Amino acid sequence: MIAEASLGSKLSIILATARMRMLNVSRYKGQLFVEILIPIVFAAMPILLGRATGGAAAEANFLRNTGTANYPAFMLIGSSTFIIVTFAFWLVGYWIRFEQETGTLEAIYLTPTSRVWNAAGIALYSAIRSLISGSVAYMIGSLIFGVNPFQGQLLLALAFILIGLIPLFGMTLMFGALVMKVKEANSLVNLMQWTVSLLMGVFFPVSVFPPLMRLLALAFPPTWMVNGVRSALLGVGYFFEEWYLDLAVLWGFLLIAPLLGFWVFSGMERNIRRREGVGEY
Amino acid sequence: MAIQEAASPNRLTGAAALFSSLLAMARKEFTIMTRYPVEFVASFGQVFAIVAIFTLAGLTFASPSGEGGNFGGVIIYGFILFMFLSDTLWTIGYNIRREQKQGTLEALYLSPASKFASLVSRVSNNLIWTSLLSLAGVGLMTALVGKLPFANPGLGLYLLGMSLSGTFGIGFAFAAITLRVKETGETLANVLQFVLLILCANFFPFGALPAGLRAISHAIPLAYGVDAFRSTLMGYPEGFPELAPIGVEIVIITLFGLLMPLIGFWAYRVAEDHERRSGGLSEY
Repeated sequence: MIAEASLGSKLSIILATARMRMLNVSRYKGQLFVEILIPIVFAAMPILLGRATGGAAAEANFLRNTGTANYPAFMLIGSSTFIIVTFAFWLVGYWIRFEQETGTLEAIYLTPTSRVWNAAGIALYSAIRSLISGSVAYMIGSLIFGVNPFQGQLLLALAFILIGLIPLFGMTLMFGALVMKVKEANSLVNLMQWTVSLLMGVFFPVSVFPPLMRLLALAFPPTWMVNGVRSALLGVGYFFEEWYLDLAVLWGFLLIAPLLGFWVFSGMERNIRRREGVGEY
Repeated sequence: MAIQEAASPNRLTGAAALFSSLLAMARKEFTIMTRYPVEFVASFGQVFAIVAIFTLAGLTFASPSGEGGNFGGVIIYGFILFMFLSDTLWTIGYNIRREQKQGTLEALYLSPASKFASLVSRVSNNLIWTSLLSLAGVGLMTALVGKLPFANPGLGLYLLGMSLSGTFGIGFAFAAITLRVKETGETLANVLQFVLLILCANFFPFGALPAGLRAISHAIPLAYGVDAFRSTLMGYPEGFPELAPIGVEIVIITLFGLLMPLIGFWAYRVAEDHERRSGGLSEY
């Protein structure tokens, strides 16, 4: 009988998993460079489109439609958040698939721990990697497009991101369960990263959506995250007028999403182990 | 006797043999594609999401009267070319890598099938699929911003064909690079795609680019493809085409479409020859 792992052991699993993946990705410096490039190029497209189509009235039109005239910063915040969301889906949602492909899944199942600690390690790794990429991209992008990256309430913006990350990872755990079931991980992750980007209003306020779609968008934690950051830095306006009310909603997501994600993931895993085996792909 | 007949030079070379191997290889790729039905649905959903994101982003710059210039046509026609470029740029090299990883590359080289057909077959199915996705994208854009400008479809198709032929050439050349740099090829393709996305101005007019970048765009034939294709389909509104008069752009794109596949395939054969001599073809 193996004794229940102590909290210290569980923490060491999280750290070891994150460290292993960090070590792995440090071998691919080109990939790390691309990750910083993506949000800048991604934001550049609507910025240049706006400059060309809006002309001299671009700022005034943008202010009327979004609540801020600073459209480069608005787009950069959207694209930097996009990279955080995308990473969460690729790294956490794709996690089981990654282990299957590298042939390490069996070894993980042989250890006397719950997979949830491995998943938490992957989430920590995803958070570190995406926060670094997103922040560096935002800084460089700000320099390129002539934006002050330190405007507004930076600490509050950071709070929205950090609190929003946890429900986001909970969501991706649910998504990981779907990937395990359907198996076509690449297609699903690709679809999901764009769908979530659309729903969270990566380059526009979600108020442009029709009512039903707006309701759906508001059910996604990234929507609150990106709007919170934009409101803190650019003053576009919180959904509930006050920052603490929006943050409270994110806290609500924080309590529900991880538990729900774990429950769905565990249920799906158990089901698949009984039927066809997790090792099959 | 039968073996001799099957191996007779007439059956192994010539247009019929090329076409037959292309068809067989494309069929094999199609069979693989059908094994992943979620991919079909997901790629449609992805196109819808991307088009919607950029359309809604464009609308945030629209004036109260709803005027936002020609941004609908600029985005969608640029996006169509971008999708085809993505197909051809990396897919050929990626598939060569896949054959290496699966261990089936050696078997392909044992067969007397045309290497050209082998390369083209990697993207032939994708091109059909991308065409359908493009139509879906146009449909969605029309639903979002109203009727899109659609003029000169014949010339537009010609420009698309020639641009596509040119990007095939880039794809061949990129497959050659992939043979040399192996796994780094994916990162290189990503960087190249992003750089081209900006320099070829797929999602915005060239006029938005800073002067220095616009000068580089003038040196990229594909940029003329994007400019001529969307300007032609939009019926040459004021200020379009932006890089050169349409007659000059047509000549550049035609030369690009005719010469680039030859140059690209030549580069591929040189890289392949080098890898075979150094023993690196089966290494990955």
